[in-house]
Amino acid sequence: MTTAVGERSTKTTLARKNAERVPWIDWMVLPTVVVLAVVIGYPVVYTLVLSATKYNMLDMLPPRYIGGGNYAHLLGDPIFWTSLRNTAVYTFGSVIVSSLLGLALALLTESLTGWRFRSVRALLLTPWAVPFVVVAFLFRYMYLQNGGVINAVLLDLGLIDKPVLWLNNSFLALPAIMVANIWAMMPFFFLLLSAALAAIPTEVIESARIDKAGTWSMVFDIKLPFLKSELFVSSLLMIISNFNDFAKIWAMTQGGPGYSTTTLVVYVYRLAFENFNFGYASAIGVVWLVLLLVFALVYLRAARVKV
Amino acid sequence: MSSMTMRRPSLSESPPVRRGVSVGRIVKYLAIALALFWSLAPVYWMLATSFKTELEATRIDPTLIPVHPTLANYVGLGGQSLPFFAFFVNSVISCLATAIIAVVIATPAAYALSRARFRLRGMVSYSVLLFRMLPLVVMLAPLYLLLLNAQLLDSLAGLVVGFTTFGLPFAVWMMKSFIDAVPIEVEEAARVDGYPRWQILLRVVTPLILPGLLTTGTFVFMEAWNNLIYPLTFMTTMDKQTLPAALVLTFTGQFKTDWGGMMAASTVTTVPLMIAFFAVQRSMVRGLTSGAVAGA
Repeated sequence: MTTAVGERSTKTTLARKNAERVPWIDWMVLPTVVVLAVVIGYPVVYTLVLSATKYNMLDMLPPRYIGGGNYAHLLGDPIFWTSLRNTAVYTFGSVIVSSLLGLALALLTESLTGWRFRSVRALLLTPWAVPFVVVAFLFRYMYLQNGGVINAVLLDLGLIDKPVLWLNNSFLALPAIMVANIWAMMPFFFLLLSAALAAIPTEVIESARIDKAGTWSMVFDIKLPFLKSELFVSSLLMIISNFNDFAKIWAMTQGGPGYSTTTLVVYVYRLAFENFNFGYASAIGVVWLVLLLVFALVYLRAARVKV
Repeated sequence: MSSMTMRRPSLSESPPVRRGVSVGRIVKYLAIALALFWSLAPVYWMLATSFKTELEATRIDPTLIPVHPTLANYVGLGGQSLPFFAFFVNSVISCLATAIIAVVIATPAAYALSRARFRLRGMVSYSVLLFRMLPLVVMLAPLYLLLLNAQLLDSLAGLVVGFTTFGLPFAVWMMKSFIDAVPIEVEEAARVDGYPRWQILLRVVTPLILPGLLTTGTFVFMEAWNNLIYPLTFMTTMDKQTLPAALVLTFTGQFKTDWGGMMAASTVTTVPLMIAFFAVQRSMVRGLTSGAVAGA
């Protein structure tokens, strides 16, 4: 009921005036609904069904119902917990760092105007246009033990005495991939936050200036509150896309060494397409789906309260 | 006292210009320079390496500028055992098809969600947003079986079906925000003039959302181009692979030590995306932001 009232006050009045009994306008959603039902609805339902079965393609046997067997197995599967932890570290670590860097850059470049701003912005956005697989190989090349530019520079500066095996070290591999990920993701935050900064009404900034707000107080008390909803929304988008990130990790380490960079995507992919264990892979998919939905609901609710 | 003098400048006047060079300014420009270096150095490194010989590319003391610049790496892409041109064409066809199909199907839906009033509107909007959040990998096994049964595995058509799972929800959600931005009065004026509804859609609304269509299409194209998991899973014949998947699959073989060749291949993979990206850069902020807020 409350939503109906809320909607009426904003958009529905316009929408109602516009609709004026043209029913086929409503039916224009039909193609989308049908396609989504086939390519998403059906697979999701099928995943639920598969998750309750033992089904390995290599056995040449049809799926066999085993109830919650896969889920019970999952609870005691250390690799599942490792990948869950890696996914959380990878996602939240990358998103937090790149959003803060993007915010800092947006604030730093705010005072630039004209061609200077346009060219600096275009240059800072470049990494966004680099395909994920290329990001992965590029950083993999720069991380090389022999001939990698990162080791060479660090050696020259005297920061390390011998080349570091960035991607072969189970402690360094995940952070090393995250650096590549942050490199690729920062432009997104920079662009969106720049736009949000530009949208702050000039009067607000002027009056703060008249009140002699210092630089820091200007940023934290005046500007940040305006950016809050933007930060929330853009972070959510990137959290989702990072949960799904397969290309960078797979092309850099394939989840290794050991399981140190195995995220849920990588684990499910391996289970399904290296072991062809579709039943168990589906169960992990379902658990993950539930976790993600809970997270999204909580996040959206929190965001709406604060917006 | 000072607050009195501060209050005097009018709102239109520009902020007080600080004379000379302050420490803050130096720090600021240094930080921007550092950010530019951080963003561009890896891209430069890719380009520079793609012109280096195999030996020079893995020197212990890397050279900043290729000592003996060569085009051999690029020439090699065309003439070797691997059909790089075919990979490129496969990528272009599958991503372009996905972008066009997604935008064509999504735009009417986005229009209906933005303008019309029906009972399920909220629910459909929400589901589209939720679909956007689905982990792709959850659908991987059933989608594989679906394509297997439809005999679409190892075909570009099957790949397009896969790409649609993320392309379509994204397109609906982005197009809706572009359509939301078209003032409804424009349509009403046309209706008052007696135009039928479908003509208004074609002649009034479509031209207004054309930038949105292009931007949305480009984004779907980019997401598809970036996707690795579907081609890796659904394509089994090497000749039918997309460019990113081919890079990953051939790495263990051909490019094991040939980083110059690898970076040339990477550059070729990057160029189309970069052109697309910078073509729509201006209008993409609106599509990304307002849609997100409205969608949530």
